[in-house]
Amino acid sequence: MSIETPLLELLQFPFMQRALIGGLLTGALGGVLGSFAVLRQLSFFSDALGHSALLGITLGILLGLNPTLVLIPFAVVFALGVNHLVQRSQLPADALLNIIYSSSLALAVVALSFVRSYRGSIHQLLFGDILGVSWLDLGLIAFLLVVAVGYLALTRRDQILLTLDEPLALSRGVAVPVHRLLFIVLLAVVVAISIKAVGVLLISAFVVIPACASRLVSRHFNTYVVLASVLGGVCAVLGLLVSGGFDLPSGPCVVIVQLVGFLAALALVPLCTVLGRVPGVRRSATR
Amino acid sequence: MVKMVLDVSGLTVRRDAVIAVDNVSFSLESETDTALVGPNGAGKSTLVQALLGILPPSAGSIRVLGHAMGPQGQLPRSVREQVAYVPQSFAVRNRCPLTVGDFVGLGWDPPGLRLPWTGGERRRSAVAHALRQTHATNLADRLISDLSGGQTKRVLLAFCLVRPRRLLVLDEAQAGLDSQSAEQFYDLLFELRRSEGWTILQISHDLDMVRRTSDRVLCLNRSLRCSGPPDHALSAAQLEEVYGRGFVPYHHRHAP
Repeated sequence: MSIETPLLELLQFPFMQRALIGGLLTGALGGVLGSFAVLRQLSFFSDALGHSALLGITLGILLGLNPTLVLIPFAVVFALGVNHLVQRSQLPADALLNIIYSSSLALAVVALSFVRSYRGSIHQLLFGDILGVSWLDLGLIAFLLVVAVGYLALTRRDQILLTLDEPLALSRGVAVPVHRLLFIVLLAVVVAISIKAVGVLLISAFVVIPACASRLVSRHFNTYVVLASVLGGVCAVLGLLVSGGFDLPSGPCVVIVQLVGFLAALALVPLCTVLGRVPGVRRSATR
Repeated sequence: MVKMVLDVSGLTVRRDAVIAVDNVSFSLESETDTALVGPNGAGKSTLVQALLGILPPSAGSIRVLGHAMGPQGQLPRSVREQVAYVPQSFAVRNRCPLTVGDFVGLGWDPPGLRLPWTGGERRRSAVAHALRQTHATNLADRLISDLSGGQTKRVLLAFCLVRPRRLLVLDEAQAGLDSQSAEQFYDLLFELRRSEGWTILQISHDLDMVRRTSDRVLCLNRSLRCSGPPDHALSAAQLEEVYGRGFVPYHHRHAP
C-alpha cells in the first residue's frame, strides 16, 4: 500500500486540518518575528522564553487554571523582567539567559512532580501537540499574525533602523525603547501561544531556522521577511505531512524539514552570490 | 532662514551618575563648520548624543533652529528632520540584508506609522540624486555589510543628503579611514556643505584637518576649555590646557 492512501485519509480528519492550518500560521508567525529577532541577536532570548514557559504552564496546572491563559501574562512579565536584567547586568547576556532558562526548566520539572491530576504528559509539553490545537487556538494565532505583520509593516522604517544601529535610529527620532519593549512583548506572546503546538524545546527553531535560511539567500529586507515567513509556513505544513505519512512525532518532523530548508539555502548561497554580480539580474539601484 | 542653528546653554550631562559634560555653552551659526576636539574620555560623544536627543541632559538647555529640546530629547518632527548624524562606527549589526539603495531610502522615509509601499517615484528619485551627489551610484546594489570604511562613510552622507537638512553632526568621521580615504571624504563633505548649505559640527582627533577645514574649534575636556578660530584654539598653549602638559599633536603625512 502506498503512503498516499493513509495520508489522504488522514487529511479528512478535522484535527489534521486544524493542525495543518495551525502549522502554516505558527510557522509564518515564527518566520516574521524571527527575521527581526535573529538580526537583533534575540535568538537565545526566544530559546530562554520557550524553556521558561514550562514554568508558566506548571504554575497554571498547580493553580488549577487554563495553562495557556496563565502562560501569556507569565511570558510577558518574564520577558520584560529578563530584558531589564540583561540591560542592567554587567554579565554577558548569553550567560545570564543560560542561568535563567536552565533554572526555570529545573524549577518547572520539580514543580511538575507535585502535580497529580495533569492529564497531559511532559513529552507533550516539551515537544508540543499540534494535533491537539483547537479552533480557538487557531483564532488566537491568526489574530497574532495580523497584529505582528501590521505592527512591523507600519513601522518598517523604524524597525529596520533599530535593527541596524540604535544611536542612528535614536538620532532619526525612532522611539527605540518603546519599539524594543513592544517587540519583546510580541515575541513573548507568540512564544506563549505557540508552545501548545510546537513545544517548549522546539519553539526557538520556529523563530530562528526559517529566518536564518532566508537571510542566506536575501539581498533586500522585504524579501528577507516575506521569504522567512513563507519558509516557516511551508516547512511546518511539509513537516506535518511527513509526520502523518510516516507516523512520526509532528514537532520534530517540522524542525527536520526546516533544517533541510536551511541546508538548501546554504547550498544556494554561491548561486545567489553569482546572480548578485551579474548586471541586469540585480535590481536597479533605486527601484 | 534662522541664523542660529544650534544654541546650547549651561548643558550638563551625566553618564552613570558621573558628570561627563559640565556646564557647556556655545552656539552654531548657519553654514559654519565647527570642530569639537579634546582627549579621549573628554565627553565629546556624550555632548553630541545630548545634542541629538539620544541622552537626556541633567541641566541646561538646547535649542535647535529656535526650538527648545524637551527633557527627553523631544523636538518637533519638522525640526528633527533638519538634523542628520553620521556615527563613528556603523558595523555592529549590519549583517542586515539591506542594499545601499534601500538603506538610503530609509533616510527619506518620514518617522512614525506609514504604509511600506508609499513614497514611490519621489523616494526613488531622491535616493538616486543622493547617491549621484556622493559618487555612490555604483554602490546602490551592494549590501551595506560589504562596503569598505570609506564607502560606508559616503553612503552615510547619502543617507543624510536624501532629504534637505540644516545641521550635520559627525562623530569622528575619519575613524577607520586611511589618510587618502579621509582626504576624499572631507573633499566630498565640503563640496556638499557648499551646495547644500549645511551647518557642520564634527568631533575630530585630526587636528591638521581641523586646522585646514574648520571655521571654529570647541575644545572640550568635560567643560569647554576654549573656543575660537583654529589658529587661536589650536595654539600650543591652548592644546596643553585641553590635552595636558607635554601634549605633542600628531601630524599626518599625506602622499604627494
